[in-house]
Amino acid sequence: MSMNRKINLRVWLKIPDAEAATVKNTLIRRLGFGNVLDDVKKERLFSIEVDSGDPEELAKSFARELVNENKESHIVLIDELKFEEDYVPVKVTLHIEDGEAISIRERLRSRLGFENVVDVKKATVWKLYFNTLKPEAQIKAGEIAEQLLINPHKDSYEIMI
Amino acid sequence: MKIAVLQFPGTNCEFETLVAVKAVGMEGEIFRWNRPAGELSGFDGFVIPGGFSYQDRLRAGVIASKEPVMSALKEEAGIGKPIIGICNGFQILVETGLLPGSIEKSSGNVDMALAQNVMISQGKIVRRGYYCDWVNLRHEAPSKRCSGSFAIERGALLKIPIAHGEGNLVTTTPGLMKKLNDEGQVVFRYCDRNGRIINEFPFNVNGSTESIAAICNEPGNVLGMMPHPERAFFAWQLPAFDPRKQRPDEPGPGRRVFESMKRYIEVNA
Repeated sequence: MSMNRKINLRVWLKIPDAEAATVKNTLIRRLGFGNVLDDVKKERLFSIEVDSGDPEELAKSFARELVNENKESHIVLIDELKFEEDYVPVKVTLHIEDGEAISIRERLRSRLGFENVVDVKKATVWKLYFNTLKPEAQIKAGEIAEQLLINPHKDSYEIMI
Repeated sequence: MKIAVLQFPGTNCEFETLVAVKAVGMEGEIFRWNRPAGELSGFDGFVIPGGFSYQDRLRAGVIASKEPVMSALKEEAGIGKPIIGICNGFQILVETGLLPGSIEKSSGNVDMALAQNVMISQGKIVRRGYYCDWVNLRHEAPSKRCSGSFAIERGALLKIPIAHGEGNLVTTTPGLMKKLNDEGQVVFRYCDRNGRIINEFPFNVNGSTESIAAICNEPGNVLGMMPHPERAFFAWQLPAFDPRKQRPDEPGPGRRVFESMKRYIEVNA
């Protein structure tokens, strides 16, 4: 009996991220978070479920397809998802159908021959750097998610602490 | 009668929209987002044109919706001035809470989303993402219900182009769709050339709930529409397969939206 494995690819730009800069600017200049928020960074997260194969080798193959090494960096986490301590990670996902995730799954399975791919999920992780203690930072992260990062009619969020 | 055509960084339809405003006999000017917002009160109506404000960062329309000029626009909406949001303008109005919410609860409530396009045919997803084409619209609201279709009779058909990647109206607000239908807030639906609503691609071009292409707020002064009436304002703008293109002196179907706005202002002045 085989057990499915989950390959998480955390991907971020190593060049300046204009979208993260715009979000930071809006939070500070328009929404009043300037007194608690120091910085905003962003990652893309791909969670790829496979039913066979060596996950370490598969992760390398998937990264070649999903990461542009000219402008992006990434790390791989197998069967776990953890983040650094110095920010509050807010994971935003679509709760309506995610067309891009479906396209990636089909591309991996049908065009690139990874028939062991069972599912692909995609998310954006906003890394919110606060100058406050963690309990307050988590409350502020929730406010930021609801005031800007999501539209609740299509997005969901989760604070990953 | 003076109309402000709002311009955000990334707006790209402001000049042809201004031409349309002036061509129906209204005065108009482009109003940059960073002008003192209080100056909006000197205008009689507003158009938020299409484009990609702030490069659609985060999601279409949301960054522009947080600008001070939009807070000022809410106040102008509250006193009944007409506002038409076209494409990205519709997305901005939704993220601001001006659509579909009534003015009283528009202080921040967002009751719907214009999500990524999903084109469905015979139960299958056949296409996703950005799409541009000429579409047929059926006017669903009674005439005089909404500022941007004030002079258009119920059931009228208009051929107008669309060009967007996020026009798929979705909502989790209980009862919202019923309210929109019951109170005449559904202004245009996508249809076939005979006016039949066929809730699948290519007639429903983006997967929008109930083929909705345009809605207004409860009082009717704020209209949001995904199609671009300014791109069908003159007959010469119509596609080559449309015989009206050979009669360039005739008005195009999009003109009726701008004429409606003018008539709305005249009646409500």
